[in-house]
Amino acid sequence: MKAPHLRVSVVSPESTLYEGEADMVVAPAWDGEVGVLRGHAPLLALLGEGSLRVRAADGEHRFRIAGGFLQVANDVVTVLSEHATAGP
Amino acid sequence: MAKTRELRRRIRSIRKTRQITRTMEMVSTSKLKRASDRVTAARPYARQLGDVIGRLLDPELRERYPLLRRPAAARRAAVVMLTSNRGLAGAFNVNLIKEARALVERLRGQGTEVELHGVGRKGIAYFRFRKEPLASTNTEIGDHGTIDDAGALMQPLQARFERGELDEVYVVYAQFRSAMSTPPGVLKVLPIEPPSAAAHTHGGQHLAPDQDEENGWIANYALSPSAEQILDRLLPLYVRNVMYRALVETAAAEHGARRTAMKSATDNAGDMLDTLSRTYNRARQAQITQEIAEIVGGAAALE
Repeated sequence: MKAPHLRVSVVSPESTLYEGEADMVVAPAWDGEVGVLRGHAPLLALLGEGSLRVRAADGEHRFRIAGGFLQVANDVVTVLSEHATAGP
Repeated sequence: MAKTRELRRRIRSIRKTRQITRTMEMVSTSKLKRASDRVTAARPYARQLGDVIGRLLDPELRERYPLLRRPAAARRAAVVMLTSNRGLAGAFNVNLIKEARALVERLRGQGTEVELHGVGRKGIAYFRFRKEPLASTNTEIGDHGTIDDAGALMQPLQARFERGELDEVYVVYAQFRSAMSTPPGVLKVLPIEPPSAAAHTHGGQHLAPDQDEENGWIANYALSPSAEQILDRLLPLYVRNVMYRALVETAAAEHGARRTAMKSATDNAGDMLDTLSRTYNRARQAQITQEIAEIVGGAAALE
């Protein structure tokens, strides 16, 4: 039984910036953007610099990311980055 | 007369001191709240990072990463001692200094050359007073350390570790168990103690078999780029994060220790005020009694 949505958390050492459900995540991976939808294969990718977009029911959340990594498994998306801030 | 005036002066002075310690207690309480929130906020990141590294780390890969290099004998070690910039926190800084000295003694006893790095005014002042050299000092971080502070602190040590000039790096910090319990502790930052590998990964393939015990599913992670390159980037993150955690815990512990110290100072001032005002009242009463006795005596003499 799969969850109807992705469970997304965006975490920096200083705070948890986002935690909740989303329909889609677009992250700035080291070699280009990567989009994650429900049912994505397990993935571990390094992130570069850019904007992370989380499309949720209540609109799109944007974060500025520099470095860190993205983990996807079982419809759970975890973004860890030392430098992550809310904003475009 | 002179005695009551002296007592009044002391009561006034203690009351003012109590006012100050009470204010400091309240300030520490609110700073403690914020600092312990930071400790809590740091946990999810630390857990997830440790988890991922534990999965990626293959014992056979150990030799290839300079940050995991485990020398047979430690010839040279660095100890980073975290203390606070401000005092009036009870035995907080003394405990940290004691812990750092004990660690340095122990390492020297094993024949290791030790250099001590001081963070925070209080620890630095102590070693300066003892005329014992510190390899570096930092008073900029204070009680609001960021991940970048942790990075700046670790960067030179990490570079020297990678070059083989240092064999071990320790940090002496204050554990934040609760506001009341802040014992000093030691973390070994380098070489990296790999977080207990919850799962095992094999080889340098782009697919790593991986078992998650909690959910009981087996995942084949696609890794981008390769496991080696990811580890190359993640290990420094892990090192920085260990130092960051030490910084935020120490900051929270400092406020906890100060609150406790200021609370007992306020309580003690209250006790002293009670005793002093009792003494003062007795002295005043004795004086009145004596004056009445003198008046009565004087009146009796006139009859």
